[in-house]
Amino acid sequence: MTRRKPYEFEGPAPDAAVYWTSLDDYTLQHSDDPAARDHLAPEFLPSALDFSDGVSRRSFMTLMGAAVALGTLEGCRRPVDKIVPYARQPEDVAVNVTSYYATVLDRRGEGLGLLVESHEGRPTKVEGNPDHTASHGKTDLLAQASVLDLYDPDRARRPSEGGVDKTYADFEAALHGALEAHGGNGGTGLRVLAQPSISPTFVRLRQAVLRRFPSARFHTWSAASNSNAREGARLAFGQPALPVYTLERARVVLSLDADLLQTEAGAVRNTRGFAQGRRPGSDMNRLYVVEPTFTTTGATADHRLRLAARDVEGYALALAAELLRTHPAEFAVLPGSVASAHAPEGVPAKWIAAVARDLWTHRGASLIAAGSRQPPSLHVLVHALNQALGNAGETVRYVPAVDADERDSAGDLRDLTQAIGAGQVQTLIVLGGNPAYDAPADLGFAEKLRGIAHSFVLSSHRDETAALAKWHVPLAHDFEVWGDAQSLDGAVAVRQPLISPLFMARSEIEVLGLVANAPSAQGHDLVRETHQAPGVPTVLFDRQWRRALNRGVLVEAATGGPAFTVQAAALAQALTPRTAGAALGSGNLEVNFLVDAKLVDGRHANNAWLQELPDPVTKICWDNAAYLSPATAQALGVTGGDVLRVTKGSRSIEIVAWVLPGQADWSLGLPLGWGRTHAGRVGSHRGFDVNGLRASDALWFVDGVTVAKTGARYALSQTQDHHQMEGRPIAVEATLAEFESTPNFAALRSPSPRTLPLWREVHYDGYRWGMTIDLASCTGCNTCVVACQSENNIPVVGKEQVARGREMHWIRVDRYFVSPRAHGNDRDPEATSDPAVAFQPLACVQCENAPCENVCPVNATVHSPEGLNEMAYNRCIGTRYCANNCPYKVRRFNYLNWHNDSVYQPEDSDVPETVRMQMNPNVTVRFRGVMEKCTYCVQRIQGRKIEANRSNGGHGRRVADGELMTACQQACPADAIVFGDLNDRQSRISQLHQNDRRYALLGELGVKPRTLYLAKVRNPNPEMLG
Amino acid sequence: MSFHAPIRAIGEKDLVAPKSSFRSITEAVSRVSETPAPKGWWIAFLTALSFTGVLGLAVGYLFWRGIGVWGNNSPVAWAWDITNFVWWVGIGHAGTLISAVLFLFRQKWRTSINRFAEAMTIFAVICALLFPGIHVGRVWHAYYLFPIPNQMGAWPNFKSPLLWDVFAVSTYFTVSLLFWYVGLIPDFATLRDRAKNATRRFSYGFLALGWRGSNRHWQTYERAYMILAALSTPLVLSVHSVVSFDFATSVEPGWHTTIFPPYFVAGAVFSGFAMVMTLLLIARAVFKLTDLVTMTHIELMNKIMLATGTLVGYAYAMEFFIAWYSGNQYERYVFINRATGPYAWAYWIMITCNVISPQLFWSKRLRTNIPLSFVVSIFINIGMWFERFVIIVTSLHRDFVPSSWGYFHPTLIDIGTYLGSLGLFFTLFLLFLRWVPMIAIAELKSVLPEASPHHGEHQDGASEEHGTPALAAEGN
Repeated sequence: MTRRKPYEFEGPAPDAAVYWTSLDDYTLQHSDDPAARDHLAPEFLPSALDFSDGVSRRSFMTLMGAAVALGTLEGCRRPVDKIVPYARQPEDVAVNVTSYYATVLDRRGEGLGLLVESHEGRPTKVEGNPDHTASHGKTDLLAQASVLDLYDPDRARRPSEGGVDKTYADFEAALHGALEAHGGNGGTGLRVLAQPSISPTFVRLRQAVLRRFPSARFHTWSAASNSNAREGARLAFGQPALPVYTLERARVVLSLDADLLQTEAGAVRNTRGFAQGRRPGSDMNRLYVVEPTFTTTGATADHRLRLAARDVEGYALALAAELLRTHPAEFAVLPGSVASAHAPEGVPAKWIAAVARDLWTHRGASLIAAGSRQPPSLHVLVHALNQALGNAGETVRYVPAVDADERDSAGDLRDLTQAIGAGQVQTLIVLGGNPAYDAPADLGFAEKLRGIAHSFVLSSHRDETAALAKWHVPLAHDFEVWGDAQSLDGAVAVRQPLISPLFMARSEIEVLGLVANAPSAQGHDLVRETHQAPGVPTVLFDRQWRRALNRGVLVEAATGGPAFTVQAAALAQALTPRTAGAALGSGNLEVNFLVDAKLVDGRHANNAWLQELPDPVTKICWDNAAYLSPATAQALGVTGGDVLRVTKGSRSIEIVAWVLPGQADWSLGLPLGWGRTHAGRVGSHRGFDVNGLRASDALWFVDGVTVAKTGARYALSQTQDHHQMEGRPIAVEATLAEFESTPNFAALRSPSPRTLPLWREVHYDGYRWGMTIDLASCTGCNTCVVACQSENNIPVVGKEQVARGREMHWIRVDRYFVSPRAHGNDRDPEATSDPAVAFQPLACVQCENAPCENVCPVNATVHSPEGLNEMAYNRCIGTRYCANNCPYKVRRFNYLNWHNDSVYQPEDSDVPETVRMQMNPNVTVRFRGVMEKCTYCVQRIQGRKIEANRSNGGHGRRVADGELMTACQQACPADAIVFGDLNDRQSRISQLHQNDRRYALLGELGVKPRTLYLAKVRNPNPEMLG
Repeated sequence: MSFHAPIRAIGEKDLVAPKSSFRSITEAVSRVSETPAPKGWWIAFLTALSFTGVLGLAVGYLFWRGIGVWGNNSPVAWAWDITNFVWWVGIGHAGTLISAVLFLFRQKWRTSINRFAEAMTIFAVICALLFPGIHVGRVWHAYYLFPIPNQMGAWPNFKSPLLWDVFAVSTYFTVSLLFWYVGLIPDFATLRDRAKNATRRFSYGFLALGWRGSNRHWQTYERAYMILAALSTPLVLSVHSVVSFDFATSVEPGWHTTIFPPYFVAGAVFSGFAMVMTLLLIARAVFKLTDLVTMTHIELMNKIMLATGTLVGYAYAMEFFIAWYSGNQYERYVFINRATGPYAWAYWIMITCNVISPQLFWSKRLRTNIPLSFVVSIFINIGMWFERFVIIVTSLHRDFVPSSWGYFHPTLIDIGTYLGSLGLFFTLFLLFLRWVPMIAIAELKSVLPEASPHHGEHQDGASEEHGTPALAAEGN
């Protein structure tokens, strides 16, 4: 007889939260209707090294590019490898020693400073630059994925004219020819269409072009621009500026349709700041979000109000009215007309009164943020409110925009198309972007582009725009060329190339340099020229330049800066009352165009990592979908998977429907960037193009839309579908009040065994690695997933294989919807319409008593002396028993040879040569039939240990705390993942393993996971409850 | 009760038709391989052979592309592959049980079916062994499973139940094969002696190992047969117990349960008898063996199926009870999910076939009804396949962490591999029927009245009455 006491599971308390992941599941759980159940039942995831002399490094890159290309040449026979030894080894390059170079990426108006890992000249992995204020060593998922964009085998390889390959000299001749024609008329008829730029060099060169061709015109277009925010600031302050938030100082944050933590500019700095303010305790921050579609930010919110996008401004006015009513003196800047504003229909009264009180109570430490999808007038109002609340200068600062001349994107593009239509454009140069795909449908840009006599398109792929242009020139990847970028906070960084252009590609500034007839059209010279102030001797500048390349920062972020004051007249003008439109309903729907968390506006469509990455909230991959609320879907008779025809006036599109809890009623969410036709082998014909519904006068949302079912069905792939949490202690959470009364609530809910161990405990004398994942600060952004994929050579499997449940991500972010049972009846539509969300990143937890290990018949998965549960790939024969016996289901099996049977089929039956260059040489590329899983980045552990052992004059030392980071930890902008040595009592990880909120997921199994979770704590406003 | 007593004296019925004689038995069994095969045999053989071809293609494609050609996924990393493995191993059990256990218990009625059952065991275990062999991701490294000394010092993991499986099943196969072969020696000699051409004489002569039927031969033979029967008997229990350890020693809810070893053995016997019944009824009709395989055999086998089916039903009920009684919410969920979740259809097929259908055999009229026996035996074969499917797939598809839950869809290759293994089984079996004495001639003769040492001692006019009171008295 065992004396072991059984674990007592208390059933969920009557008022406990209910966890579920999709509506179908919810129905499954609660429906009495057997027909519905039957229908649903079968329903189916450092610092930079010293910089050597620029010129010699470039030559090295050139040599290495050729060497790697040679080395990867392969035919049908065994590859003939030619190894070219370094006859003279380049300075500062050691074989097998990783180097890091600082560079910078433009992320929707934010210059994100990076350090890129390079192996013998091949960039393989992107990290944040700790010295750069936008990054502080952290990145977002797009930066992580950018290295695959570099090696995209579908990139255009050489210039072409009318689809026929040409040389670069041909292109230059053609461009010169076209420009010559404008020499006489000062550039009349010469237009340049570019994306919004944060590059000082770009702005300088534009002036140079305009000096050469005074009558030429520049236009700006991006489908995901920040025009509204710029315009709002221009109206409010009289000059274009962008707000930069200091979320770490904010105690109360109200986001008005602003996806601060994922798609808006500055998401990395915002997430980092937000997480810093998210420490459970008396000064924990609180986030209110008002938005139509669930975003990462909305999913992280303490309180979320789902509201049609067109009503968000009405909500803000009602809030302003409340503040004006309660504190007339402080809010005197608001015009009196505001006082009469009423909240839009459906906004609960507490969302006005309680939120206003909370903002006021925390004035100076609160923040209101307006989203870039919202009109400029809302931005003006928000600037005024932040100023009146004393937040300006504290939680929000304003920095003048790099490009003061940039105009409203849609209006600017409309001017251009009108000019083309009027025959005023003879020569059009398109610098980046893909307007033929993403221009608003009413402009007919694609048709007009076809009619231009001389059109030159610079883009990375022969995309939709390139296909219509006379000339196409490959656009170089950011890691191939020189450039510069200014961050939101004013810091300027130099973009330095990691590798020579793989193909015959040029950067935007190089082409602009040609147009400007600059003395040197080399990117390096153009950038230096911008930053070398007149009168500074080259010798001095050289030193400054080298330091900038080393650190990654050329100009530090502005701290003080000019004061920005909202002009009352502008405010009154912006807030002229508007007549409310007809009530939304089944015949008058609103559509929202959403910046996609993965593809943005379609620019990353051919990135296989991003395609396979599940959407943070819907967990759909390889597709987009029209999001409908459960009530709207019911009213329209639509279920997930129905193909809809969405019509606005004379325009309509078809798109698959997806019922998304938390979507505003009568409002459809349409992610941009999908349905590309010329994206490449990976991205073409994935998802649905929604640009056909977009108009230049209603870029982000519009009402008066109708929806009809086409009768067709479309299968979507999800990495996680239909399951509630079943009352299990999986993602454990509590409110701040509960946490304060019972700090160890998580360990109580997810207990560990109370019995003595069966075997003698193993003592780990050397290092004892461990990890914690803080669910309170995790925003579910998925950056860790891509970072892991990039670090560990994780293959992509494709949509069909994801549908089969074979995605390979070593770390996944589980998403559970949470609806309080307090909503009363479980079938209350409120419960499914307006849930909260809990995220839980889950990778191998490195059990000390690993169930996978003792079932492997061939000893292929074994324990290391440091406590890692290791995989010996060479020994694995693929019985998959370990995966069955893993309670966390984190093991991934190579069901097919994913690297060969890849998404690049059928043209490449092998890994494309360029994609191979991305592979991390320190990680085995796994063949089919082998099990794999998270290893705590064992290659990094060993690398740092070797470094530590060799240091100290060869006497060695222990790896210091913080010196070693896993890929997921290093990337995580919320710093939710901490890794380190548990045998070091002073280490951060040792302290976190003693944190009150710690719990072992499935700890009751006695597997002793090394990864502990810190339970989620929400900070609801007591006034908002009940 | 004496082993030597004429069967009627111990209250049993004739085990062969009354008019059978040594000669008629030899004739009936031997003529199958001596006359041209009936057309029906050819049709069946070619059909089975083509399914074996399907197996070859399916396995070839599997080796070429990888396990992904099946529907296995995460979380359902084992599906039809291991389901088929356990199903085939289970089927094999009846053979050993009939030939060894019933032999040791002196159940003489086994003699007309034991050869059959043993052959079925061999072929079923061949099919079973196929699956663990091909289901590994890297078949070319499958030899890592064997403890082969190597300079790396890398040994298999003796803690893994999968390794125990390797030893248990291969031991079982070896012993079963030897047992079967030893029993065949006298019969091969019979065929050799009747051979009319050199090829047959040589082949059967080679297989008969020089059997001359001498007294010494018979003594050695009987002893060897007895020893092998004694060796096989614990294997009946051990093999399926070890197979069940694959599941019972894991942490998965629905697998991690102590009832598995007896439950698996009962299920194995159950499914094995059903398969013997299916095959026997076909062979009996095709080769007109009604004299040798009588209604008595059929009824006795139906009784065993009733008993084991009810045992299995008890195990199903006990699993539910323990899941509830344990208070373990994961365990509870798995069982409720089996009966009501996405795989409820599979669960209820299993219950209908395995628990409900054998209950018909409480009625003597029904258990002596040949068409019904055939139908029920097919039901049980299906039900036992679903039992393994339910245990493996429904436990895996929803375990601890709800976010990783999934669903399994078989592919054409899954189906082809399974049907192909049936093809392989029937191909081997049909070859056996054609070329090997399908009924143990020598043993069957031993249950004839003439085999009794006292046969013919009392010629008192009631000579046809084997079970005379005098004999019965003498039997003590």
